Amino acid sequence: MITIFKDRDDIPQDKDYVELNDVFFNQNTAARLDGNATRIIDEIDGSKLIGRFRIQSRFDDVALDIDRLSAGCKTVLNVMYYPDKVFCLKECGNNALELIYGLRCGFVYSDYALIPFDVGKVMVQTKEGSREVSGYEELREWWDNEE
Amino acid sequence: MKSKPVVTGHFTTVHTSFLVDFEFTNNITILTGDSGTGKTAVFSFIRECAAVNSDIICFNYLDYQKDIREIISRVEGKLIVIDNADILLDDDIRKYISLDGRNQYLIIGRNPRNLFTTRENLFEMVSRRAGEQTVFSIKPYL
Repeated sequence: MITIFKDRDDIPQDKDYVELNDVFFNQNTAARLDGNATRIIDEIDGSKLIGRFRIQSRFDDVALDIDRLSAGCKTVLNVMYYPDKVFCLKECGNNALELIYGLRCGFVYSDYALIPFDVGKVMVQTKEGSREVSGYEELREWWDNEE
Repeated sequence: MKSKPVVTGHFTTVHTSFLVDFEFTNNITILTGDSGTGKTAVFSFIRECAAVNSDIICFNYLDYQKDIREIISRVEGKLIVIDNADILLDDDIRKYISLDGRNQYLIIGRNPRNLFTTRENLFEMVSRRAGEQTVFSIKPYL
């Protein structure tokens, strides 16, 4: 399951934090994509992966460079392909959030709550350590410091 | 927050087979919604329009190092369009924008914190095919 940080200072110093998902994707993740990315790109952006660096636009079927994927889609793929780094969650729409929360591993950060409607179990991490939380209400309470 | 747009109530531009056709009812329009609906594509069309229309100023993640607060405080009568707003706008810039009556804003993002906005400011993208054209417009989010 994914691990969530709500304070930048809680991210361990040996972990890289990535705020600009667009840049990181274009410079790193794009070259790593394989068949596992196909479903993500289809589900979030409604586009088809038609080549190593090409997608087919959902709007007019034109072939586009893969840098045209949405920031939300790029964020999901960044977390998937670089599960050792921490990625900013803030540019994800609800559809991208649902996929991120369903990943088997990965790290994300946001200083305010970004929770999909349907959420299972996730890990939350602060300086005090990490623990498992489940469900929208419990996660919301953690994010809003209402524990 | 309800306030009439100070620059334009209607914006339209064409990019090949794409038509952007936005009606603004507020001075601050927050364009939000799911990922992959075409928000950033529309931003790129508006930025292209800005190359020939000096009344439009655009910012996105490529401007991450710039002092956006300083830039917008020096202009007047502009439609200021900001993509990737959730990472570009800190609380100080948000407060400035909320009180800026000299410029109009189209903000592409999800977090309305410190913009003092209400549901009347929240919009989402709608796209439809019209022959060979794809038309992008906005509708209230809630």
